Amino acid sequence: MIKQLSVFVQNEIGSLANVTSVLKDNMINLRAIASFDTPEFAILRIVVDQPEKAKEVLNAGGFAVKVTEAVAVELEDKPGELDGMFRVIADAKLGVNYIYSIVLRNGKVPLMIVNTEDLTKTASVLKEHGYIVAEQEDVNA
Amino acid sequence: MIWAKEETLPRREMEELQLQRLQETVVRVYEKVPAYRAKMDEAGIAPEDIKSLEDLKKLPFTNKKDLRDNYPFGLFTVPKKDLVRIHASSGTTGKPTVVGYTKKDMKTWTECVSRIAAMGGATEEDVAQICFGYGMFTGALGLHYGLENMGATVCPTSSGNTQKQIMYMQDFETTILVATPSYGLHIGEVAHQMGLKPSEDLKVKIGLFGGEGMTEPMREEMYKLWGHDMMVTQNYGMSELIGPGVSGECLELCGMHINEDHFIPEIIDPDTGEVLPPGSKGELVISCVTKEALPLIRYRTRDISRLMYETCKCGRTTVRMENLSGRSDDMLIIRGVNVFPTQIEEVLLKVPEIGAHYEIVVDRKNFLDYMEIKVELADEALLDSYSKLGELEQRIKSNLRVVLGLDATIKLVAPRSLQRFEGKAKRVTDLRKDL
Repeated sequence: MIKQLSVFVQNEIGSLANVTSVLKDNMINLRAIASFDTPEFAILRIVVDQPEKAKEVLNAGGFAVKVTEAVAVELEDKPGELDGMFRVIADAKLGVNYIYSIVLRNGKVPLMIVNTEDLTKTASVLKEHGYIVAEQEDVNA
Repeated sequence: MIWAKEETLPRREMEELQLQRLQETVVRVYEKVPAYRAKMDEAGIAPEDIKSLEDLKKLPFTNKKDLRDNYPFGLFTVPKKDLVRIHASSGTTGKPTVVGYTKKDMKTWTECVSRIAAMGGATEEDVAQICFGYGMFTGALGLHYGLENMGATVCPTSSGNTQKQIMYMQDFETTILVATPSYGLHIGEVAHQMGLKPSEDLKVKIGLFGGEGMTEPMREEMYKLWGHDMMVTQNYGMSELIGPGVSGECLELCGMHINEDHFIPEIIDPDTGEVLPPGSKGELVISCVTKEALPLIRYRTRDISRLMYETCKCGRTTVRMENLSGRSDDMLIIRGVNVFPTQIEEVLLKVPEIGAHYEIVVDRKNFLDYMEIKVELADEALLDSYSKLGELEQRIKSNLRVVLGLDATIKLVAPRSLQRFEGKAKRVTDLRKDL
């Protein structure tokens, strides 16, 4: 599994830029980012090449950050791939909380990051069905 | 109409009456309330030392804290069986401030309220709709009894359900509106939204507003909404003293006449406790001189006002107090409910998921007060999901509701994003100003 950072951001102009500035200043590379429209505050989910360092520098910058595991699945860039993955997860009676992706990976296949109530089980059922679940090293490079 | 002859007593006669009643009351509390006796002994003053009204200033003050320390009935001069009514208001540390009334107190209270209703122009011909919340607060039942005593027709509609309030106003041909000024404005606004023109479609001609101060801009707004023919008056009181009925505006609208034969006012410097000369602005201190159950002596209201002794054009000789211009403590009045920031702080500090810093913003939207409290998220474990953060907001909100009896909007903000203070923290911003 890979590491994901959840960052508390207020719904204010410039709040996302404040997060990315801290990452830029510390030469941390963003691999994926997800945030949706919410009325008051948002939980910004990011995947970076140096998760522990990112938490440290973001905390130092005044951000509340939680590092958690995330299931990142390799998917071919063709119709029906995502459908197949969702089918496996649904058949295992797991609910999806949120999903986002890493598409550009220097010629490698895209990664789909999926969060459910049981990450370990999700990873194992996907592996059983032949999916490749990425590790943190896969996103560092 | 002037309700009672005491309202027009020559100053000398009023002062004689006040002195006699003050002396009786001081004897009463000294003999019956250990806490008062201890305070007076400590100050080295005995009841017989009160020889003139000038001597009032020798007596120790009573504070809200004294009521709390003696919760619930410690300052009462009568056994509980002699009480016919108990009311309470919110306190600073969970325990409310409890007040009680004997049969005689109820009569006094009712008469005092009839007087202020008459000052505002009420008569037995009127239909009065009481839009204060009924319950442990004194406002609603105080006006209820006073108006009923006068012979007016009382409709105890309580607060809320504004469209229905307006329906009753139309159907009962209500002529007197009793409400907090902010609710009065809100009702007026809703009436307009319903397509009504209050000055033509409703019969309301008198507003008896209280429970919170009404500024002059609020009064102007009231005229705009209800029509310039409405008599927009306000009155003053607090449960510790009796409830509503301490003072009220007459038709001249030049200050609130204090029912001086029952309540002796003084103006003090809130910092030194020094009595200030007539006409000075300072903290209003009131001594109850006719109460039986709970006659508080030199009660510090924390309200800032000024006393005007010149005889009023209305013919009343009783002293008038100027429109309140703030408080000497940090109490907020939100939708008529007394709120101390310390109450909020106590609730917030018991929530481990948030930081110790907070900011309270009070403002008015559509003429209704609302309170927003910003708190810093401290527990990063909640960042798993929106629902965990949402649950935290809900939990803070419901904890506050239990203590304050009010709903606040909780706003989670990033850690260390709220202002830090080196000296005295300014955590409350009241944006209500004039409106």
